[in-house]
Amino acid sequence: MSIAIVLLALAVGCYLVAVFEGWAVHGRFSLTRPAISALALLGREQILPRTPDRLFFETGPVLLLVAGLLSVAVIPMAPGLIITDLAIGALFLNAALAYVLVALIMAGWGPNGAYGMIGGWRFLGQFIAYAMLIVMPITAVAMRAESLSSTQIVLSQVALWNVFYQPIGFVLFVVAALGVAWLPPIDLPTGGGDLGGGVEAEYTGARLAVWRLARLVIIVALSGATVTFYLGGWLGPWLPGWAWTALKTLAVAAAMLTLGRHLPRLREARYLAVSWKLGISLALANIFLVGVIALVVPI
Amino acid sequence: MSLATALFLAFFGIAAIWFGVVVFRTHSMVRSAIALLFSQTAIGAMFLVMQAEFLGVLQIMMMATEMSVMAIFMVMFMMDPGGMGKMDMTHQKRLSLWAGGIGLAVALAVIWTAGWQGPVPEVPGADEQARMLGRELLGRSMFIFESAALMILTAMIAATMVAIAPQERDVP
Repeated sequence: MSIAIVLLALAVGCYLVAVFEGWAVHGRFSLTRPAISALALLGREQILPRTPDRLFFETGPVLLLVAGLLSVAVIPMAPGLIITDLAIGALFLNAALAYVLVALIMAGWGPNGAYGMIGGWRFLGQFIAYAMLIVMPITAVAMRAESLSSTQIVLSQVALWNVFYQPIGFVLFVVAALGVAWLPPIDLPTGGGDLGGGVEAEYTGARLAVWRLARLVIIVALSGATVTFYLGGWLGPWLPGWAWTALKTLAVAAAMLTLGRHLPRLREARYLAVSWKLGISLALANIFLVGVIALVVPI
Repeated sequence: MSLATALFLAFFGIAAIWFGVVVFRTHSMVRSAIALLFSQTAIGAMFLVMQAEFLGVLQIMMMATEMSVMAIFMVMFMMDPGGMGKMDMTHQKRLSLWAGGIGLAVALAVIWTAGWQGPVPEVPGADEQARMLGRELLGRSMFIFESAALMILTAMIAATMVAIAPQERDVP
């Protein structure tokens, strides 16, 4: 039962995120536009590029969707309202998100086109930049909770949300999350206006619809992960737990979709340099600080 | 071990071996790297079947990154990365056959002669396993892991040094 509820919530969340994205990109708020776009994509001709790596071409979008769905599986909406409450949930989320990279490389390589391939390899460069900044802040979160279970991580924030307890980790995690979902200003793998769609360039019709849906799932999953790890998950007054999770997740998704658009694009090499020289140092400092605080003033 | 567990274990074991074979059967470097990734993922799934959650998920996570990085290196260094020119992936076949055969014989000998303690009757819970692993890594095995880390770091720095093209200096 809880699986069906979470999946329904995910579907609604994806739709609302699509509405938000349309609003942020085109400046027009329309509740029907994502549905019309999806129908249009499904009805369109599906073009197969010349001499593709057919296996990779077909697997890419599906693998991206599977990775997104698996990462949603360990995000709790409320106590008990979770697809599977693994004891190692935070690590599982990481593992699922690692396959976003594999999906992008497959989708980039598959169509046998220059734009797609460059987009795919760009994402690999981007991955090397953000990988540590996903794992190291989560380490600090797990240190406070003394558990890798996402439910335990939420419960550890009853007295004080992690966003106040470890603000450095929060900022690093959000910057890394922008990289995972290739959102602006770190959107060069699909870079509109630069690569003609990048990884998406050769996809049309239903395959593109699956691809876009998968990306929406990943955005919702990352927003949900941010809420679980840093914004107290379902914790909050007056409203029921699931409502808090939903509201917070949508708020984080909206912020991720809009804020980055006001910044200049970041090349993957620059992102890599900043992430490793500044980001990893800050992440290590964050782990150290959280360790000291946890030992000295246990909250 | 229940029948279902044994079946799943055998399925993922065979999948791991099959993807290992695919690594050498394909002509495309990227396909080869991704096949190796799925071979390792199948081994991760075997850990999961044996209820070693942490190790299984860790294996599945680490390999995704490592094999993807390997793919780009294979594309960079091979002359026919897409396999369109039907480049042969195998060479020195007689030597490889002998080496593979001897390796298999040694592995089988170790499996048969080693004193296995038999399956553990009671598997600790996943959080208990993570705690025990942490104690092991920060205790008895710490020196091994730290020295391995140092060696990998040295190799990384050395590889970067080799990869950087030498700058032309002014000859006095």
